Amino acid sequence: MENTFKADQLPRDSDNSISLTLIKAALDSSVSGIIITDNQLPDNPIIYCNSSFEKMTGYKRNDIIGHNCRFLQADDRQQPERDKIREAVKKGQNISVEIRNYRKDGELFWNELYVSPIKSPDGNITHFVGVQHDVTRRKKAEEDLKHEKQLREQKITERTNELNASREYLESIVQTVRESLLVLDPGLKVISANQHFLNTFKVSLSETEDKSLYDLGNGQWNIPKLKELLEKILPTNNPVLDFEVEHNFPHIGRKLMLLNAHRIELEGEYKDRILLAIEDITERRAIEQRKDDFLSVASHELKTPLTTIKGYIQIMERLLPPESSEKLKDIIKKTARHADKLNNLIQELLEVSRIQTGNITLVKEQFDLDEMVTEMVDSLQAASSNHRIHLSGRTGIKYRGDESQLSQVVSNLLSNAIKYSPDSTDIDVHLAVVGDYVKLSVKDYGLGISPADQKKIFERFYRSSETQKHFPGMGIGLYICEQIIKNHGGSLWVDSEYGKGSTFNFTLPLN
Amino acid sequence: MKRKILICDDDEGILEMLEMVLDAEDYDVTTEQNSLKMFDRMAQVQPDMLILDLWMPVLSGDQITAKVRSTPAYQHLPILIISASRDGAEIAKNAGASAYLAKPFDIGDFMDAVEKLDTQSAA
Ligand SMILES: Cc1cc2nc3c(=O)[nH]c(=O)nc-3n(C[C@H](O)[C@H](O)[C@H](O)COP(=O)(O)O)c2cc1C
Repeated sequence: MENTFKADQLPRDSDNSISLTLIKAALDSSVSGIIITDNQLPDNPIIYCNSSFEKMTGYKRNDIIGHNCRFLQADDRQQPERDKIREAVKKGQNISVEIRNYRKDGELFWNELYVSPIKSPDGNITHFVGVQHDVTRRKKAEEDLKHEKQLREQKITERTNELNASREYLESIVQTVRESLLVLDPGLKVISANQHFLNTFKVSLSETEDKSLYDLGNGQWNIPKLKELLEKILPTNNPVLDFEVEHNFPHIGRKLMLLNAHRIELEGEYKDRILLAIEDITERRAIEQRKDDFLSVASHELKTPLTTIKGYIQIMERLLPPESSEKLKDIIKKTARHADKLNNLIQELLEVSRIQTGNITLVKEQFDLDEMVTEMVDSLQAASSNHRIHLSGRTGIKYRGDESQLSQVVSNLLSNAIKYSPDSTDIDVHLAVVGDYVKLSVKDYGLGISPADQKKIFERFYRSSETQKHFPGMGIGLYICEQIIKNHGGSLWVDSEYGKGSTFNFTLPLN
Repeated sequence: MKRKILICDDDEGILEMLEMVLDAEDYDVTTEQNSLKMFDRMAQVQPDMLILDLWMPVLSGDQITAKVRSTPAYQHLPILIISASRDGAEIAKNAGASAYLAKPFDIGDFMDAVEKLDTQSAA
């Protein structure tokens, strides 16, 4: 089957508006999920979805307009069906597949997907339509049957092995974890200590095993409060959680230790034992402290010279003779604007913690979105001679939002693209209207981001360990960007493949 | 007669800039970068107003303020504290400063604060 339409029957015709409403209502009452993508925009973004699609996937329109449909595959990207769809889309053919997809809450569902191209009279494929059915139940029944027999056999062997295995298993865990562990008997005498404990506290096994916990070292654990908590573990099964001990330990000096203790039981072997885990958090605490100190010092050190700069600019404005050239006046005005921008950046840096609770205010005004993006592209292009930034597409939209914050987002995405693709030259920036959203994407051909890192990069102080090595700097940029876009009702996301490059996208709702 | 203002900040750049601004408004300005020398300076200049930074090496703006306030002759001397630290306003108030401005400030706001203190103390 192939859907074709004549140019004068395009659904966006205004004199057709009644039938368009009708069509929309009809699509929304369908039990199938229905999706339309725009094949003429880069990466085939979704421009429409009906309400069954929202129900089936748990995503709202707002989350997904502008995305490529592959986000439904979550991290499950190695399915052969994915390649089949890609081939069909490339060739402009129909395809029907069953593919594992994931709801917004992460739950798996089997998607019976039918994708079909829409051609214009001149034969170009302008759109694709996707029709989805959730066939999880059928799939599950099939698979359940298959697995049931297998499972029953498996269980019997498992049970027999379990007891032996779990003993060795526990032992190997205790020895391998990079945390100090002690196993205690009900009288809080040490039954065993792992290698990490011995290394951390620079003690021998004979100094440790068979000794009372309170006699270890120089009596470091003999703390009344801790004693009370530990003695309650066995009768009440209440664990000791995150108990901090700061102490001058023998051999290793003053350290801050974090203690966690739980009751452990291994059926048939023993019942009343306590596992005490001790973690040295001295360094971590110091780093957190240094981070806080750094922020306060940065605030002070940056703001003082900024006050001076702002002051001189204002003096310049006053001293400027009225007959001065327009160019000079313009330069001073621009300098003032950038000094303010710098001030905002410093302010934001300091208020990251406040942003986290959702307290940044938006100053919304109408502005020319295309022009803003063009300006940011120009200024970053001017600053980077190694890269060529190609801007394509336009929205023609006067957008109502916080221009300074949004230009900060664009600038951030562009400078990331430059920073993280040191060995390639091209960066593609694309602007488009998708449905009732505008979409901006910034594509680089650089390092790319692994799936695990893709989740983390929007966290507050995160940079992936790989990129960390190559590009030292502060990692709050993306976090702030996401908050800004969210505050505008839009969404910011990344599509990336490790080693091939990344595309950062955001959408903003038009009203 | 010109009113005398003594400014203390460990940052030379801001001292120079503020001096230029106050000069233009016809104040008699003295600047001091070393907070330890402030008391000698005060004895020498006999200022009508102090403008102090908060975080300075050795002697901080609030310490200077507290000490000045404990001198009977200076109990009502206008003191404006300027600072970039987050809790600056509260520290300034507790130390007994007359007014506070957060860095970075607008020159307009700065002059408003100075003139307000000046007319209050003259009245
Ligand atoms: C109209 C349309 C609807 C689609 N719907 C889905 C879908 O519901 N689930 C899914 O996993 N992929 C869906 N896809 C497929 C992906 O968008 C993408 O084409 C596929 O993952 C292969 O491309 P890739 O290798 O670039 O990811 C759809 C594609 C089109 C064109």
